Amino acid sequence: MSANLSPPTASETILELQHVTKRYGGLPAVDDVSFAVQRGEVLGVIGPNGAGKSTMVSLIGGSAAPTSGKVLFQGQAINTLPPHRRAHLGIGRTFQLTQPFTGLDIRENVMVGAFFGRRGLSRSQALHVADEVLARVGLAHKATLKGDQLTVADRKRLEVARALAMDPRILLLDEVMAGLTPAEVTDAIELIRSINRDGVTVLVVEHIVRAIASVSDRVLVLHHGRKIAEDTPDTVLSDPKVIEAYLGERYAKQKQAEKDPAQPASEWMEGLA
Amino acid sequence: MPRETSSTASNSPVAGSGPASGDATTTRAGRGWLWSLLGGLVILGGIAAIPTLGSDTLTSNWTIITMYIVLAQSWNFIGGFTGYSAFGNVTFFGIGAYAVAVSFLSNPKVISPYDPQRPQQFFIGLLAGVVISAIFAFLIGLPTLRLKGHYFAIATLGTSVAVEEIVTQRDVAGSGGLASPPFPPLSLHIAFYYGFVALALVCLLLTTWLARSKFGYALVAIRENEQAAQTLGIATTWYKVGAYVLSAIPTAIAGGIYAYYSSGFEPATVFTSSISVTMVLVTFLGGSGTVLGPIIGAIIFEYASQQFALSSGQATSVFGYHFGSDTLLGVAIIIVAIALPQGLVRVVQEFTRRPVAGGAGASGNSRANQFVEGVRRVRKFIAANGI
Ligand SMILES: Nc1ncnc2c1ncn2[C@@H]1O[C@H](COP(=O)(O)OP(=O)(O)O)[C@@H](O)[C@H]1O
Ligand SMILES: [Mg+2]
Repeated sequence: MSANLSPPTASETILELQHVTKRYGGLPAVDDVSFAVQRGEVLGVIGPNGAGKSTMVSLIGGSAAPTSGKVLFQGQAINTLPPHRRAHLGIGRTFQLTQPFTGLDIRENVMVGAFFGRRGLSRSQALHVADEVLARVGLAHKATLKGDQLTVADRKRLEVARALAMDPRILLLDEVMAGLTPAEVTDAIELIRSINRDGVTVLVVEHIVRAIASVSDRVLVLHHGRKIAEDTPDTVLSDPKVIEAYLGERYAKQKQAEKDPAQPASEWMEGLA
Repeated sequence: MPRETSSTASNSPVAGSGPASGDATTTRAGRGWLWSLLGGLVILGGIAAIPTLGSDTLTSNWTIITMYIVLAQSWNFIGGFTGYSAFGNVTFFGIGAYAVAVSFLSNPKVISPYDPQRPQQFFIGLLAGVVISAIFAFLIGLPTLRLKGHYFAIATLGTSVAVEEIVTQRDVAGSGGLASPPFPPLSLHIAFYYGFVALALVCLLLTTWLARSKFGYALVAIRENEQAAQTLGIATTWYKVGAYVLSAIPTAIAGGIYAYYSSGFEPATVFTSSISVTMVLVTFLGGSGTVLGPIIGAIIFEYASQQFALSSGQATSVFGYHFGSDTLLGVAIIIVAIALPQGLVRVVQEFTRRPVAGGAGASGNSRANQFVEGVRRVRKFIAANGI
C-alpha cells in the first residue's frame, strides 16, 4: 500500500518489455524495445509522430501482438493473453483515437469498465463506481449524454474514466491531454498525480513535453520505433540524441528551430506537438 | 495491495451522497424495460386470445405470425443486441425441423401418417434439434464471429446453403430431403399455436432479462465498440458465441414445431434464405436491440404479408407480373433501410420522450403542444438516422 511513497527506489518491476518488435508489413513500428516499469512510478513516453508510442501501448494492452519479444506483467509473460485477460490482471489503457460506446450514455460507458474490469461488482455497485470516477475526471455533469455527443477533450476524459473504473494496477494513457487548454492540462496533471498517489503505476504517452516533464519520474524516448533514451526528465530533455530526433522532424516541417537554439528544450519541443 | 483498496478508499464526497447514488439502480432507458415487458405481455395475451374467436383461418394465420415473432426475437439476440448481422439463422430452423422429422422416422410405428401419435417422438426430436443447433451454432460461431460486418453476414448465409445441400444430398428424412412427418390430428393445432405463444413468452422474458443483465451489457458493449469492450475486460469471443447459441435454440424449437405442424416439407422450404432475411427485416422494422421491436415488426410485416398474398392471389397480376409476398419483402426492405433504420419502437420512444428537465419553457403543457413537439422530434430523428 505504501509502495508509491518512494517510487524510483522501491524497485519492484511491474511491467517489462524484452526485445519487443512489432512489424507491419515488414516495417517495424516498434523495434527491439526493452525497458522495465517500477511499481508505483510514473513513466513518461515521448517521441515524434509515428515513433511507435501507440503501437507500444497496444502491445502492452493486448490489442496488438508482438512480432517477437516478450511482454511481462508482474513476472508473467502476457504476450499471448487476449486484452480482456490483461484487463483482469490489472492493465487499463486509453486509446489515442477515442473508442466510446456511442449508443450508451457516459455513465454506462464508465459503468462497463467497473462491471467487467473488476470481479464481483453488482450493477448498482458498478454504477456507483462510475459516478465516483466521473466526478473525479470532471465529467459528472455530462453523465447522461451519449458517447458520441462529447467534445474531443471530454472523449479523452471518458477514456481515462473508463480505464480508471477498472481499478487498474497500471494505467496506460495514450495522449489524453491532446486538445486540452493549458488550464485543463494542469488539471489533468493533477489527476495523474492523484491516481498515482492511490498506488496506480502510470505509463503516460504525451506530446506535451511540459506535462511529461512535470508528471514523470522517468522518461523514455522512442524514435522510429527504437528506444533512444530512458532517464530522468531533465537528463532526457537535454540529451543530444533526443534533441536531434525532434529536430529531424522539425527540419522537415519548418526551419524555425535553427534560429533560436538557446531556447530550453521543453519549449521548442512543445511546438512540435 | 492497492488494487483492492484504492477505489473504496477514494470515496469522493460527491459520489457518496446526493442524487447520484440514489439514482444508482436506473440505467439504459430508465424503467422503460418494465413498460416494454408489460406491453409485450399485453400483446402476447391478445394473441393467446385469438383462438377463442373460433376462426380456423385466423388461428392458422396467427400461428405463422407468432412463429415469426419467435424467429425475430431469437435473431435479436445476435443481430440486435450484439450487432452481428447473422444472415443464416434459418439454418437452426431447418435443423430443428429435420430433427423432428428424423425422430418420427426413427420409430417405425409412426411412419404411416395415420398411425396413433407418439408424442415422445416429437419431444425427442425437439430436444435433439436444440442440442444439434446449439452445438452447430457454437462450432460455426467460434470461427465466423471473428469476422466483421459483411464477412460475417456472408459466412452465415453460406451455412444455410451448405446445410440445405447436405440434407438434400444425403436424403435426410426422405429421398432428396423430402420429409413427411405424420399428420397431426386437428386437435393438436391449438397445441402448436400455444407452443409458439409460450416460446414467444420465454423469448420476451429472456430479452427483458438481457436488457438489464450483465450478459446483455456485454453484448451491447460489443455492438457499440468491440475493441473498447475487450480492453475493459469483456471476454468478447465467449459472449458473442453465447449470444449466437442463445439465438439458435428458440429458432430450432420453432423449426421443430413447424415440422410437425406442416406435416410435410422439403429442404428448400425450411432452409430458404427468405426466412433469414425476414427475421432481420422485421427486427429492424420494429427496432433491433429493443424488447418490443421484434414482436411488433413481426406482427406488422407478417400480417401485411398475408393480406398481400391474399389480395394478389385474387387480383392476379399487374403489368403481367404476379406480385407475391416476396415482392412485399423486397419493398419493405427498401423502405426500412431508407426511412426507418432505427425501427418503429425507437420512433415511438422519441415521440413520447419527456423533454430534458430545465429546457426552455417554449414547449408548454397543453396536449396539442406536446403532440407538435413529439412530431418535431420524430421528424428530426428520422432525418438524422434515415434517408
Ligand atoms: N495497424 C497498423 N497497420 C499498419 N501500420 C501501422 C499500424 N499501426 C501503426 N502503424 C505504423 O506504425 C508506426 C508507428 O505508429 P504509432 O504507434 O501510431 O506511432 P505514434 O503513436 O508514436 O505516433 C507508424 O509508421 C504507423 O503508420
Ligand atoms: Mg500515437
